[in-house]
Amino acid sequence: MRATLAPRRGGLLASRAALGLVIAAYTAYTLGPFLWLATMSVRTTGEISADHYAWPRPFHWEQFRVAWVDSDFATYFWNSTVVVVTAVAAVTLIGAAAAHALARYHFPGNRLIYGILFSSIIFPPQITLISLYQILVDYGLYNSLIGLTLVYVSLQLPLTVYLLEGFFARIPQDLFDAAKMDGYGDLEIFRRIVLPIGMPAIATTLILNFIQLWNEFLFAVVLVTDPDKRTLPIGIRAFMGDHFQDIGMIAAGVMISVVPVIVAYVFFSEKLIRGMTAGAVK
Amino acid sequence: MADAATPAGARVARPAPVPKAGRMADPRRAGLSILLVFLAPALLVYLGLTAYPAVRTVLDSLFTIEGTERSFVGIANYRDLLADETFRVAVRNTFVWAFVAPVLDVATGLLLALALYAGVPFARFLRVAWFTPVLLSYVVVAILWMWLYNYDWGVVNEALRAVGLGALARSWLGDPNTALSALIVTHAWKWAGFNMVVCLAAIHSLPSEVLEAAELDNCGWGAKLRHVIVPMLWPTLLNLYVLAFIGKMKVFDLVWIMTGGGPLWATETVSTYVYKRAFNWNTFDLGYPSAIATVWFGVVCAAVMILNRVFRSRDRLEY
Repeated sequence: MRATLAPRRGGLLASRAALGLVIAAYTAYTLGPFLWLATMSVRTTGEISADHYAWPRPFHWEQFRVAWVDSDFATYFWNSTVVVVTAVAAVTLIGAAAAHALARYHFPGNRLIYGILFSSIIFPPQITLISLYQILVDYGLYNSLIGLTLVYVSLQLPLTVYLLEGFFARIPQDLFDAAKMDGYGDLEIFRRIVLPIGMPAIATTLILNFIQLWNEFLFAVVLVTDPDKRTLPIGIRAFMGDHFQDIGMIAAGVMISVVPVIVAYVFFSEKLIRGMTAGAVK
Repeated sequence: MADAATPAGARVARPAPVPKAGRMADPRRAGLSILLVFLAPALLVYLGLTAYPAVRTVLDSLFTIEGTERSFVGIANYRDLLADETFRVAVRNTFVWAFVAPVLDVATGLLLALALYAGVPFARFLRVAWFTPVLLSYVVVAILWMWLYNYDWGVVNEALRAVGLGALARSWLGDPNTALSALIVTHAWKWAGFNMVVCLAAIHSLPSEVLEAAELDNCGWGAKLRHVIVPMLWPTLLNLYVLAFIGKMKVFDLVWIMTGGGPLWATETVSTYVYKRAFNWNTFDLGYPSAIATVWFGVVCAAVMILNRVFRSRDRLEY
């Protein structure tokens, strides 16, 4: 049942109006800058310099073609896609397997392993950053998308295990007992029971990992220098460094990088919000 | 009080394994080989790409490392660190950010959640809209806010000029007095929505009888907030504070893109300083930045443990 927080008599209208005003102002504050960016992405830099706040007229959709083809954003986009999709698939599989073992089986050291995996969530990234750079150089994986993918798997592993373990632990044990009676082996149980039943949680983890890695900047900027191997965040940053004044083109590039995230958000906003808030509510 | 909708809301106590009579073995036991199949990949990734690099960084902090040349210097790096003025400034900036800014984040988040809870129209839309900045990458947020803060045509200065306060217009990121605050505002812009959805979920999980009782007692807005809602949400709010704190102790991307730590080290954070010393300055020594990283690792872990201890009420915090 929803209680109303507004006073009942006197001033009801005034307080409602004030509340509405605050809400409208905050909405403008969060969405306004983003919409401004969107208008600039379909205007040429010349038009933008004349008036930064004018409505696009006409809409220069070709800006996106120029950014995609001539400014290498296609390369950055595909690099990001390959690295992120591979890393997310790998970390979800590896993480789900570990989460299942930790959630389901009793064995000595269970909680210790869980604690060790989980506690690395609070590590500041610098503690591994410098050494990972050296290690990847040693193994010839520096400046390669494979190296970056491996690092991304390790970055998202703690969160994945944490979210999935919490969910898998709540699958009723009866299901497993029944499956055992039916002669299912341990691997079969994982594949035919845990994965299908855990699908909602796995989907949440997938989307969350996708967005976090799609936006990742620090490890990418350290581990990749070759222009052909840049992912979107460092590609945009590099483009901005070279063409500081070309606002229209920067805005178009930024929009290209944001679109997949927005699409994921439009379709899965509930799952995403739930995933990001999981565990924070007490 | 855990919300049933969150997959990891609560760590439910495991029922004790019921020993099955007869030939069935305990279904919660598995052979070592099965456990290895499930756990080995994760442990390998963890050992190879998290534990080993972390240990190596700690060891490296005792060396000077230039290219393939390594020379043992003992604790010299740490001694230098104590005398390093820039490091001191970076620590101060990071601490200011990490201790003060979370209050801003959590308070904004709570107020926004209350606004939605008060039953405004389009609440679903607003919740989604306010959450949007959380999803944008720091690179996007940084570029956007550099434009908002632009001296000549940024929204902030344009708005000041429009209301006749043109004298206050300034280069927000170029002025050492305002640069750090400008970055803190930007960071809060990105994260307020996250705090909002968590607070909202927590409010919805409060027992409705309590709120209704307060309603019947004709409790005013302010009194209800102070005596009922905030005390009941306190564990959630503290949890959010710790989360925001951890995030801010690591802050890098936003600073690096918007100000690069400048002007005059006004926005230098520990993360940007480590990056500069390791990869940006022509010092070519990876030992010294490893020492900074090691110290900071210790500081973050200690700070989180202390906060956990101080804030611990009945149950432990989760992240």
